[in-house]
Amino acid sequence: MSELALKPVRTRILTDKDNIVDIIVKYAQHDVGPDDVVTVAESVVAITQGRITRPEDLKVSFLARILCRFIPQEGSLSSCYGMQSAMDTEGQWRIFFAMIIGMLAKIVGKNGVFYQMAGGQTALVDDVTGTMPPFDKCLVYGPHDPNGVAEEIKRRLGCYGAAVADVNDLKRAAVLGVSAGLDAKELAHILIDNPFGNASQRTPIVIIKNYAKAEEVAKGQA
Amino acid sequence: MEFLMMLVILVVVVAIAVWLYIAKQGDAEFEFIVGQRTDFILDDVTEKTATFSCKVPFINKGSQGGTIMDAYPRHLLPYEQYDGVEVSSRMELSTAPRTDNYFEAVIIPQGTGGTVVITVKFTAKEGGIQEALGQMAELTVDMAIDIVYQIVARSLWYIHKKRMVMTCDEIMRAMQTKGAAQLEDL
Repeated sequence: MSELALKPVRTRILTDKDNIVDIIVKYAQHDVGPDDVVTVAESVVAITQGRITRPEDLKVSFLARILCRFIPQEGSLSSCYGMQSAMDTEGQWRIFFAMIIGMLAKIVGKNGVFYQMAGGQTALVDDVTGTMPPFDKCLVYGPHDPNGVAEEIKRRLGCYGAAVADVNDLKRAAVLGVSAGLDAKELAHILIDNPFGNASQRTPIVIIKNYAKAEEVAKGQA
Repeated sequence: MEFLMMLVILVVVVAIAVWLYIAKQGDAEFEFIVGQRTDFILDDVTEKTATFSCKVPFINKGSQGGTIMDAYPRHLLPYEQYDGVEVSSRMELSTAPRTDNYFEAVIIPQGTGGTVVITVKFTAKEGGIQEALGQMAELTVDMAIDIVYQIVARSLWYIHKKRMVMTCDEIMRAMQTKGAAQLEDL
């Protein structure tokens, strides 16, 4: 048997009192084999790292109040709190200059320059409502050291590899961190249909079964 | 000197342009339309308790989407006014019923809205609920309920209140209609 299969794993609600690796060991270890890759949702990793804040706790700068107005309202930075949290992680002047250059780039028809220049955390901030209760009233930053988290998961579970992924229902998947030897783009492609489900399904862990064998077969065919 | 003057003028022009852009963009603006709420109906009655509910529509009539971060009903029945019942209340979206009195933050795009369900439970402090609410009606005690809601949109978060009144006549009417059969059984 060498077919890939995705197995979501249900957990309880995780908080900053939890260690994500301990949780994966507790809920998923019995399903994980040496050929499998364990993936975990980035927002849950961030929550367990305490990388959350409430709008009420943020001191919003004048610049954040202005710049958020230039983000389309579907974006997490479109509220002054989302913008301020990005500024707090990446620096307000970096965000400011990225915005100016992004606007100029847009005029000449090039999109996405702002997010390229504004730093990795900028695209990872989840505004309020981005996660399930009780964190629906919080902003969630991107996770810290996703590669390190992936390596630690692999070491503790003895699996083929591990990854931290940001996937949503809009067919957008990005792998933020992987253990050594894994191809982030390939994993993102496998996870594109969002096997993590929505937040209320409480399945922040997805095991990619038989990954190593499938990879071997694919290489043999190539 | 001329260069400095040009710079100042440029800054002023950009500031005015940004201000006009923001003014034109606007923001979310929420309204709980208590004038269009349904009458309270009796959901459940026991010897000691009576539970009523009503539906209140709301709308985001602004030009931007906004988030209702939190919302809850604040009932106001001081003992100086009437001391025969204890009151508890809760609020939830009609599309996302819950039993835990937790309001899950929800994004409401501009020009759209929804409906909340407000549930009010009276518990008689002494004797039966029928007598307690009957006495409340005799004293013509109406109960104000503030819908308290916290909004996050483009600008800083804020909390607003919208007042509605649960009248004693309405309570009696609800008791007499749907609850009549149940009350007879008690």
